[in-house]
Amino acid sequence: MLASILATAEAVSTEITQVAETKNPILPTVNEMFWAAVFFLLLWALMKFVLLPPITKVMNARDEKVRSDLQAAEAAESARVSKLAEYEAGLAGARAEAGALLEAARSEGDAERRTKIAAAEADAASFKAEASTAVADAKARARTELTASITDIAVGAAEAVVQKPIDRAAQTALVEDYVNRSGSQN
Amino acid sequence: MIFGLEFPPIENLVEWPNVFGPEGSWYGFNKIALINFVALAATTVLFLVAGRSKGLVPKGARNLVESGVAFIRDGIIMETVGKDGIRYLPYLVSLFFFIFITNIFEVIPFFHMPGNARMAGPAVLALITWVYFIAVGLKHQGLKYFWNSVAPPGVPKALLPLVIPIELLSTFIVRPFSLAVRLFANMLAGHILLVTFSVLCITLFSATLLALVLPFSFAMLVGLTGFEIMVAFLQAYIFTILAAVYIGSSMHAEH
Repeated sequence: MLASILATAEAVSTEITQVAETKNPILPTVNEMFWAAVFFLLLWALMKFVLLPPITKVMNARDEKVRSDLQAAEAAESARVSKLAEYEAGLAGARAEAGALLEAARSEGDAERRTKIAAAEADAASFKAEASTAVADAKARARTELTASITDIAVGAAEAVVQKPIDRAAQTALVEDYVNRSGSQN
Repeated sequence: MIFGLEFPPIENLVEWPNVFGPEGSWYGFNKIALINFVALAATTVLFLVAGRSKGLVPKGARNLVESGVAFIRDGIIMETVGKDGIRYLPYLVSLFFFIFITNIFEVIPFFHMPGNARMAGPAVLALITWVYFIAVGLKHQGLKYFWNSVAPPGVPKALLPLVIPIELLSTFIVRPFSLAVRLFANMLAGHILLVTFSVLCITLFSATLLALVLPFSFAMLVGLTGFEIMVAFLQAYIFTILAAVYIGSSMHAEH
Protein backbone atom coordinates (compact mmCIF):
# COMPACT_ATOMS: atom_id res chain seq x y z
CA MET A 1 0.00 0.00 0.00
CA LEU A 2 2.69 2.47 1.02
CA ALA A 3 4.80 1.39 -1.89
CA SER A 4 1.87 2.00 -4.20
CA ILE A 5 1.27 5.50 -2.78
CA LEU A 6 4.96 6.33 -3.06
CA ALA A 7 5.01 5.10 -6.66
CA THR A 8 1.96 7.21 -7.49
CA ALA A 9 3.48 10.26 -5.81
CA GLU A 10 6.69 9.79 -7.73
CA ALA A 11 4.78 9.45 -10.98
CA VAL A 12 2.82 12.64 -10.22
CA SER A 13 6.00 14.44 -9.25
CA THR A 14 7.67 13.37 -12.49
CA GLU A 15 4.65 14.55 -14.47
CA ILE A 16 4.63 17.91 -12.68
CA THR A 17 8.35 18.33 -13.37
CA GLN A 18 7.81 17.51 -17.03
CA VAL A 19 4.95 20.00 -17.27
CA ALA A 20 7.05 22.66 -15.56
CA GLU A 21 9.92 21.98 -17.91
CA THR A 22 7.69 22.21 -20.98
CA LYS A 23 7.75 25.78 -22.18
CA ASN A 24 4.43 27.50 -22.60
CA PRO A 25 4.62 29.44 -25.87
CA ILE A 26 2.02 31.90 -24.64
CA LEU A 27 3.79 33.05 -21.49
CA PRO A 28 6.41 35.82 -21.79
CA THR A 29 10.03 34.95 -21.11
CA VAL A 30 12.20 37.10 -18.87
CA ASN A 31 15.02 37.61 -21.36
CA GLU A 32 12.66 38.81 -24.11
CA MET A 33 10.90 41.15 -21.68
CA PHE A 34 14.26 42.49 -20.54
CA TRP A 35 15.48 43.29 -24.04
CA ALA A 36 12.10 44.68 -25.15
CA ALA A 37 12.08 46.99 -22.12
CA VAL A 38 15.69 48.07 -22.69
CA PHE A 39 15.25 48.82 -26.38
CA PHE A 40 11.88 50.50 -26.01
CA LEU A 41 12.95 52.70 -23.09
CA LEU A 42 16.09 53.60 -25.01
CA LEU A 43 14.02 54.51 -28.04
CA TRP A 44 11.69 56.61 -25.88
CA ALA A 45 14.62 58.51 -24.36
CA LEU A 46 16.24 59.03 -27.76
CA MET A 47 12.91 60.11 -29.23
CA LYS A 48 12.32 62.64 -26.47
CA PHE A 49 15.76 64.23 -26.40
CA VAL A 50 17.44 63.56 -29.75
CA LEU A 51 15.21 62.27 -32.54
CA LEU A 52 11.94 64.15 -32.32
CA PRO A 53 12.98 67.76 -31.48
CA PRO A 54 14.51 68.55 -34.92
CA ILE A 55 11.47 67.07 -36.65
CA THR A 56 8.91 68.94 -34.57
CA LYS A 57 10.99 72.10 -34.76
CA VAL A 58 10.79 72.13 -38.56
CA MET A 59 7.12 71.08 -38.50
CA ASN A 60 6.29 73.89 -36.08
CA ALA A 61 8.33 76.37 -38.15
CA ARG A 62 6.42 75.28 -41.26
CA ASP A 63 3.10 75.51 -39.44
CA GLU A 64 4.09 78.96 -38.22
CA LYS A 65 5.11 80.01 -41.74
CA VAL A 66 1.89 78.67 -43.20
CA ARG A 67 -0.05 80.49 -40.48
CA SER A 68 1.83 83.77 -41.04
CA ASP A 69 1.52 83.42 -44.83
CA LEU A 70 -2.18 82.86 -44.45
CA GLN A 71 -2.45 85.88 -42.20
CA ALA A 72 -0.45 87.92 -44.74
CA ALA A 73 -2.70 86.67 -47.52
CA GLU A 74 -5.77 87.57 -45.47
CA ALA A 75 -4.31 91.02 -44.75
CA ALA A 76 -3.53 91.49 -48.46
CA GLU A 77 -7.04 90.40 -49.30
CA SER A 78 -8.47 92.87 -46.77
CA ALA A 79 -6.26 95.61 -48.23
CA ARG A 80 -7.40 94.68 -51.72
CA VAL A 81 -11.04 94.79 -50.69
CA SER A 82 -10.49 98.09 -48.90
CA LYS A 83 -8.66 99.54 -51.92
CA LEU A 84 -11.39 98.31 -54.20
CA ALA A 85 -14.04 99.89 -51.98
CA GLU A 86 -11.99 103.09 -51.90
CA TYR A 87 -11.60 103.04 -55.68
CA GLU A 88 -15.28 102.35 -56.16
CA ALA A 89 -16.16 105.13 -53.74
CA GLY A 90 -13.81 107.49 -55.66
CA LEU A 91 -15.29 106.36 -58.93
CA ALA A 92 -18.79 106.92 -57.61
CA GLY A 93 -17.75 110.39 -56.34
CA ALA A 94 -16.18 111.25 -59.70
CA ARG A 95 -19.27 110.01 -61.47
CA ALA A 96 -21.49 112.07 -59.17
CA GLU A 97 -19.24 115.10 -59.68
CA ALA A 98 -19.25 114.61 -63.43
CA GLY A 99 -23.04 114.27 -63.34
CA ALA A 100 -23.34 117.40 -61.25
CA LEU A 101 -21.03 119.31 -63.61
CA LEU A 102 -22.96 118.05 -66.59
CA GLU A 103 -26.22 118.98 -64.97
CA ALA A 104 -24.89 122.42 -64.04
CA ALA A 105 -23.59 122.94 -67.57
CA ARG A 106 -26.89 121.77 -68.94
CA SER A 107 -28.82 124.10 -66.62
CA GLU A 108 -26.48 126.94 -67.48
CA GLY A 109 -26.85 126.22 -71.17
CA ASP A 110 -30.61 126.05 -70.80
CA ALA A 111 -30.67 129.29 -68.87
CA GLU A 112 -28.46 130.99 -71.45
CA ARG A 113 -30.55 129.59 -74.23
CA ARG A 114 -33.68 130.82 -72.53
CA THR A 115 -32.08 134.23 -71.95
CA LYS A 116 -30.98 134.48 -75.56
CA ILE A 117 -34.34 133.35 -76.81
CA ALA A 118 -36.01 135.88 -74.56
CA ALA A 119 -33.64 138.59 -75.76
CA ALA A 120 -34.22 137.58 -79.36
CA GLU A 121 -37.93 137.52 -78.78
CA ALA A 122 -37.71 140.93 -77.14
CA ASP A 123 -35.66 142.23 -80.03
CA ALA A 124 -38.12 140.74 -82.49
CA ALA A 125 -41.02 142.24 -80.57
CA SER A 126 -39.23 145.57 -80.50
CA PHE A 127 -38.53 145.38 -84.22
CA LYS A 128 -42.09 144.31 -84.79
CA ALA A 129 -43.41 147.18 -82.66
CA GLU A 130 -41.15 149.64 -84.40
CA ALA A 131 -42.21 148.28 -87.77
CA SER A 132 -45.85 148.39 -86.75
CA THR A 133 -45.41 151.94 -85.58
CA ALA A 134 -43.67 152.84 -88.84
CA VAL A 135 -46.36 151.10 -90.83
CA ALA A 136 -49.07 152.83 -88.80
CA ASP A 137 -47.31 156.17 -89.21
CA ALA A 138 -46.86 155.58 -92.93
CA LYS A 139 -50.42 154.45 -93.19
CA ALA A 140 -51.63 157.50 -91.26
CA ARG A 141 -49.46 159.72 -93.37
CA ALA A 142 -50.65 158.08 -96.52
CA ARG A 143 -54.24 158.35 -95.40
CA THR A 144 -53.80 162.01 -94.50
CA GLU A 145 -52.12 162.70 -97.81
CA LEU A 146 -54.74 160.65 -99.62
CA THR A 147 -57.55 162.37 -97.77
CA ALA A 148 -56.02 165.74 -98.61
CA SER A 149 -55.51 164.82 -102.25
CA ILE A 150 -58.98 163.30 -102.59
CA THR A 151 -60.44 166.32 -100.81
CA ASP A 152 -58.57 168.68 -103.11
CA ILE A 153 -59.60 166.73 -106.21
CA ALA A 154 -63.16 166.24 -105.04
CA VAL A 155 -63.56 169.85 -103.90
CA GLY A 156 -61.93 171.14 -107.14
CA ALA A 157 -64.13 168.86 -109.23
CA ALA A 158 -67.24 169.79 -107.32
CA GLU A 159 -66.45 173.54 -107.45
CA ALA A 160 -65.89 173.10 -111.19
CA VAL A 161 -69.30 171.41 -111.51
CA VAL A 162 -71.32 173.74 -109.36
CA GLN A 163 -69.26 176.80 -110.26
CA LYS A 164 -69.16 178.10 -106.79
CA PRO A 165 -66.91 177.53 -103.75
CA ILE A 166 -67.77 174.63 -101.54
CA ASP A 167 -67.28 174.29 -97.78
CA ARG A 168 -63.89 172.72 -97.70
CA ALA A 169 -64.00 171.68 -94.07
CA ALA A 170 -67.31 169.83 -94.53
CA GLN A 171 -65.98 168.11 -97.63
CA THR A 172 -62.85 167.19 -95.86
CA ALA A 173 -64.89 165.56 -93.07
CA LEU A 174 -66.92 163.62 -95.65
CA VAL A 175 -63.81 162.42 -97.44
CA GLU A 176 -62.15 161.40 -94.17
CA ASP A 177 -65.22 159.48 -93.17
CA TYR A 178 -65.26 157.75 -96.53
CA VAL A 179 -61.58 156.91 -96.42
CA ASN A 180 -61.89 155.60 -92.88
CA ARG A 181 -64.79 153.38 -93.82
CA SER A 182 -62.93 152.14 -96.90
CA GLY A 183 -59.80 151.50 -94.83
CA SER A 184 -61.70 149.54 -92.25
CA GLN A 185 -63.01 147.19 -94.97
CA ASN A 186 -59.38 146.30 -96.09
CA MET B 1 -0.37 14.91 -38.91
CA ILE B 2 -3.46 16.81 -40.06
CA PHE B 3 -4.90 15.14 -43.19
CA GLY B 4 -1.40 14.07 -44.11
CA LEU B 5 0.06 17.58 -43.48
CA GLU B 6 3.14 17.63 -41.30
CA PHE B 7 2.53 20.75 -39.19
CA PRO B 8 5.29 21.95 -36.87
CA PRO B 9 4.52 22.27 -33.14
CA ILE B 10 3.52 25.79 -32.07
CA GLU B 11 6.66 26.33 -29.99
CA ASN B 12 8.72 25.77 -33.14
CA LEU B 13 7.01 28.78 -34.72
CA VAL B 14 7.54 31.29 -31.95
CA GLU B 15 10.46 30.21 -29.80
CA TRP B 16 14.02 30.96 -30.80
CA PRO B 17 17.31 29.84 -29.32
CA ASN B 18 19.63 32.41 -27.79
CA VAL B 19 22.37 33.84 -29.95
CA PHE B 20 24.33 34.64 -26.82
CA GLY B 21 23.67 34.02 -23.15
CA PRO B 22 22.66 30.66 -21.76
CA GLU B 23 19.13 29.35 -22.32
CA GLY B 24 16.82 30.44 -19.51
CA SER B 25 19.04 33.37 -18.46
CA TRP B 26 17.50 36.84 -18.03
CA TYR B 27 19.83 38.36 -20.62
CA GLY B 28 19.69 35.65 -23.32
CA PHE B 29 19.66 37.41 -26.71
CA ASN B 30 17.52 35.66 -29.33
CA LYS B 31 15.74 36.52 -32.60
CA ILE B 32 12.97 38.43 -30.81
CA ALA B 33 15.53 40.58 -29.01
CA LEU B 34 17.26 41.14 -32.35
CA ILE B 35 13.95 42.27 -33.90
CA ASN B 36 13.42 44.67 -30.99
CA PHE B 37 16.94 45.99 -31.47
CA VAL B 38 16.37 46.47 -35.21
CA ALA B 39 13.14 48.34 -34.41
CA LEU B 40 15.17 50.69 -32.19
CA ALA B 41 18.00 51.01 -34.72
CA ALA B 42 15.75 51.47 -37.76
CA THR B 43 13.63 54.11 -36.03
CA THR B 44 16.74 55.92 -34.81
CA VAL B 45 18.40 55.91 -38.24
CA LEU B 46 15.20 56.96 -39.97
CA PHE B 47 14.69 59.90 -37.63
CA LEU B 48 18.36 60.91 -37.75
CA VAL B 49 18.35 60.92 -41.56
CA ALA B 50 15.06 62.81 -41.56
CA GLY B 51 16.36 65.30 -38.98
CA ARG B 52 19.43 66.09 -41.10
CA SER B 53 17.39 67.16 -44.09
CA LYS B 54 17.00 70.94 -44.21
CA GLY B 55 14.34 73.16 -45.67
CA LEU B 56 10.66 73.58 -45.02
CA VAL B 57 9.53 71.26 -47.82
CA PRO B 58 9.83 67.62 -46.65
CA LYS B 59 11.27 65.02 -49.03
CA GLY B 60 12.26 61.36 -48.81
CA ALA B 61 12.84 60.06 -45.28
CA ARG B 62 11.76 63.33 -43.78
CA ASN B 63 8.46 63.11 -45.63
CA LEU B 64 7.89 59.61 -44.25
CA VAL B 65 8.80 60.58 -40.70
CA GLU B 66 6.79 63.80 -40.75
CA SER B 67 3.76 61.92 -42.10
CA GLY B 68 4.04 59.47 -39.21
CA VAL B 69 4.53 62.18 -36.60
CA ALA B 70 1.71 64.31 -38.03
CA PHE B 71 -0.54 61.25 -38.13
CA ILE B 72 0.08 60.58 -34.43
CA ARG B 73 -0.11 64.25 -33.45
CA ASP B 74 -3.23 65.19 -35.43
CA GLY B 75 -4.92 61.83 -35.88
CA ILE B 76 -4.41 60.39 -32.42
CA ILE B 77 -3.41 62.99 -29.81
CA MET B 78 -5.55 65.89 -31.00
CA GLU B 79 -8.53 63.58 -31.45
CA THR B 80 -8.29 61.80 -28.10
CA VAL B 81 -6.46 64.08 -25.66
CA GLY B 82 -6.42 67.52 -27.22
CA LYS B 83 -3.72 70.17 -27.30
CA ASP B 84 -2.59 69.33 -23.75
CA GLY B 85 -1.56 65.89 -24.96
CA ILE B 86 1.16 67.17 -27.33
CA ARG B 87 3.72 66.74 -24.53
CA TYR B 88 3.17 62.96 -24.77
CA LEU B 89 4.10 62.93 -28.47
CA PRO B 90 7.58 61.38 -27.92
CA TYR B 91 6.11 58.44 -26.00
CA LEU B 92 3.32 57.77 -28.48
CA VAL B 93 5.61 58.17 -31.53
CA SER B 94 8.08 55.72 -29.95
CA LEU B 95 5.25 53.31 -29.21
CA PHE B 96 3.84 53.47 -32.73
CA PHE B 97 7.13 53.08 -34.58
CA PHE B 98 8.43 50.39 -32.22
CA ILE B 99 5.28 48.28 -32.51
CA PHE B 100 4.90 48.81 -36.25
CA ILE B 101 8.49 47.86 -37.06
CA THR B 102 8.47 44.80 -34.78
CA ASN B 103 5.17 43.76 -36.38
CA ILE B 104 6.30 44.27 -39.96
CA PHE B 105 9.05 41.68 -39.49
CA GLU B 106 6.26 39.19 -40.14
CA VAL B 107 6.64 39.83 -43.87
CA ILE B 108 10.34 40.70 -44.08
CA PRO B 109 12.26 37.91 -45.86
CA PHE B 110 14.59 35.78 -43.67
CA PHE B 111 12.92 37.08 -40.50
CA HIS B 112 9.27 36.10 -41.04
CA MET B 113 8.49 36.58 -37.39
CA PRO B 114 6.63 39.49 -35.83
CA GLY B 115 8.32 40.50 -32.60
CA ASN B 116 4.93 40.92 -30.97
CA ALA B 117 3.84 37.34 -31.69
CA ARG B 118 5.68 36.67 -28.43
CA MET B 119 3.96 37.86 -25.29
CA ALA B 120 7.07 39.54 -23.88
CA GLY B 121 7.03 42.65 -26.12
CA PRO B 122 3.32 43.45 -25.79
CA ALA B 123 3.46 42.72 -22.04
CA VAL B 124 6.36 45.14 -21.54
CA LEU B 125 4.75 47.85 -23.63
CA ALA B 126 1.41 47.41 -21.86
CA LEU B 127 3.13 47.48 -18.49
CA ILE B 128 5.05 50.66 -19.33
CA THR B 129 1.85 52.26 -20.64
CA TRP B 130 0.03 51.21 -17.47
CA VAL B 131 2.68 52.77 -15.25
CA TYR B 132 2.79 55.84 -17.48
CA PHE B 133 -0.92 56.62 -17.45
CA ILE B 134 -1.07 56.11 -13.68
CA ALA B 135 1.91 58.47 -13.31
CA VAL B 136 0.16 61.03 -15.54
CA GLY B 137 -2.97 60.70 -13.40
CA LEU B 138 -1.00 61.22 -10.19
CA LYS B 139 0.78 64.20 -11.70
CA HIS B 140 -2.43 65.91 -12.79
CA GLN B 141 -4.82 64.93 -10.01
CA GLY B 142 -2.62 63.81 -7.14
CA LEU B 143 -3.81 60.92 -5.02
CA LYS B 144 -7.42 61.80 -5.88
CA TYR B 145 -6.70 60.21 -9.25
CA PHE B 146 -7.32 56.75 -7.82
CA TRP B 147 -10.66 57.75 -6.34
CA ASN B 148 -11.69 59.66 -9.51
CA SER B 149 -10.76 56.64 -11.60
CA VAL B 150 -12.91 54.17 -9.68
CA ALA B 151 -15.72 56.59 -8.81
CA PRO B 152 -16.15 58.95 -11.75
CA PRO B 153 -17.63 62.35 -10.83
CA GLY B 154 -21.39 62.50 -11.37
CA VAL B 155 -22.13 58.87 -10.55
CA PRO B 156 -24.98 58.61 -7.98
CA LYS B 157 -23.76 57.47 -4.56
CA ALA B 158 -26.16 54.55 -4.57
CA LEU B 159 -24.40 53.11 -7.63
CA LEU B 160 -20.89 53.44 -6.20
CA PRO B 161 -20.78 49.92 -4.67
CA LEU B 162 -21.45 48.58 -8.14
CA VAL B 163 -19.32 51.04 -10.11
CA ILE B 164 -16.18 51.00 -7.95
CA PRO B 165 -15.33 47.30 -8.42
CA ILE B 166 -16.11 47.48 -12.14
CA GLU B 167 -13.98 50.60 -12.69
CA LEU B 168 -11.20 49.26 -10.48
CA LEU B 169 -11.10 46.09 -12.52
CA SER B 170 -11.42 47.75 -15.93
CA THR B 171 -8.99 50.63 -15.32
CA PHE B 172 -6.19 48.98 -13.38
CA ILE B 173 -6.42 45.29 -14.25
CA VAL B 174 -8.13 44.82 -17.61
CA ARG B 175 -6.49 47.71 -19.45
CA PRO B 176 -2.89 46.40 -19.46
CA PHE B 177 -4.05 42.84 -20.11
CA SER B 178 -6.32 43.82 -22.98
CA LEU B 179 -3.60 45.98 -24.51
CA ALA B 180 -1.04 43.19 -24.36
CA VAL B 181 -3.30 40.30 -25.32
CA ARG B 182 -4.90 42.13 -28.27
CA LEU B 183 -1.55 42.90 -29.87
CA PHE B 184 -0.02 39.53 -29.08
CA ALA B 185 -3.03 37.44 -30.19
CA ASN B 186 -3.48 39.31 -33.46
CA MET B 187 0.15 38.99 -34.42
CA LEU B 188 0.39 35.35 -33.34
CA ALA B 189 -2.78 34.48 -35.26
CA GLY B 190 -1.45 36.18 -38.40
CA HIS B 191 1.89 34.42 -38.01
CA ILE B 192 0.22 31.02 -37.66
CA LEU B 193 -1.93 31.71 -40.72
CA LEU B 194 1.09 32.59 -42.85
CA VAL B 195 3.01 29.57 -41.57
CA THR B 196 0.00 27.34 -42.29
CA PHE B 197 -0.25 28.44 -45.90
CA SER B 198 3.52 28.35 -46.36
CA VAL B 199 3.66 24.76 -45.08
CA LEU B 200 0.69 23.92 -47.26
CA CYS B 201 2.40 25.35 -50.35
CA ILE B 202 5.56 23.36 -49.61
CA THR B 203 3.55 20.18 -49.10
CA LEU B 204 1.52 20.73 -52.28
CA PHE B 205 4.66 21.36 -54.32
CA SER B 206 4.85 17.76 -55.51
CA ALA B 207 4.43 15.68 -58.65
CA THR B 208 0.98 14.47 -57.61
CA LEU B 209 -2.49 15.72 -58.41
CA LEU B 210 -2.34 17.78 -55.21
CA ALA B 211 -0.18 20.27 -57.13
CA LEU B 212 -3.38 21.49 -58.79
CA VAL B 213 -4.41 23.08 -55.48
CA LEU B 214 -1.06 24.82 -55.09
CA PRO B 215 -2.00 28.04 -56.99
CA PHE B 216 -4.97 28.61 -54.68
CA SER B 217 -2.88 28.03 -51.59
CA PHE B 218 -0.17 30.33 -52.96
CA ALA B 219 -2.73 33.01 -53.80
CA MET B 220 -4.02 32.81 -50.24
CA LEU B 221 -0.45 33.12 -48.96
CA VAL B 222 0.16 36.24 -51.06
CA GLY B 223 -3.19 37.75 -50.04
CA LEU B 224 -2.60 37.05 -46.38
CA THR B 225 0.87 38.57 -46.60
CA GLY B 226 -0.73 41.82 -47.80
CA PHE B 227 -3.33 41.49 -45.09
CA GLU B 228 -0.63 41.09 -42.45
CA ILE B 229 1.02 44.34 -43.56
CA MET B 230 -2.30 46.04 -42.89
CA VAL B 231 -2.65 44.24 -39.54
CA ALA B 232 0.87 45.31 -38.56
CA PHE B 233 -0.07 48.95 -39.10
CA LEU B 234 -3.54 48.58 -37.59
CA GLN B 235 -2.33 46.95 -34.40
CA ALA B 236 0.33 49.64 -33.93
CA TYR B 237 -2.35 52.26 -34.44
CA ILE B 238 -4.81 50.59 -32.04
CA PHE B 239 -2.22 50.18 -29.30
CA THR B 240 -1.09 53.80 -29.69
CA ILE B 241 -4.56 55.29 -29.77
CA LEU B 242 -5.63 53.28 -26.71
CA ALA B 243 -2.51 54.42 -24.87
CA ALA B 244 -3.42 58.01 -25.81
CA VAL B 245 -7.00 57.50 -24.60
CA TYR B 246 -5.78 56.11 -21.27
CA ILE B 247 -3.31 58.97 -20.83
CA GLY B 248 -6.02 61.49 -21.72
CA SER B 249 -8.45 59.93 -19.26
CA SER B 250 -5.82 60.18 -16.52
CA MET B 251 -5.36 63.91 -17.11
CA HIS B 252 -8.92 64.92 -16.33
CA ALA B 253 -11.17 63.66 -13.54
CA GLU B 254 -14.31 63.93 -15.64
CA HIS B 255 -13.15 61.25 -18.06
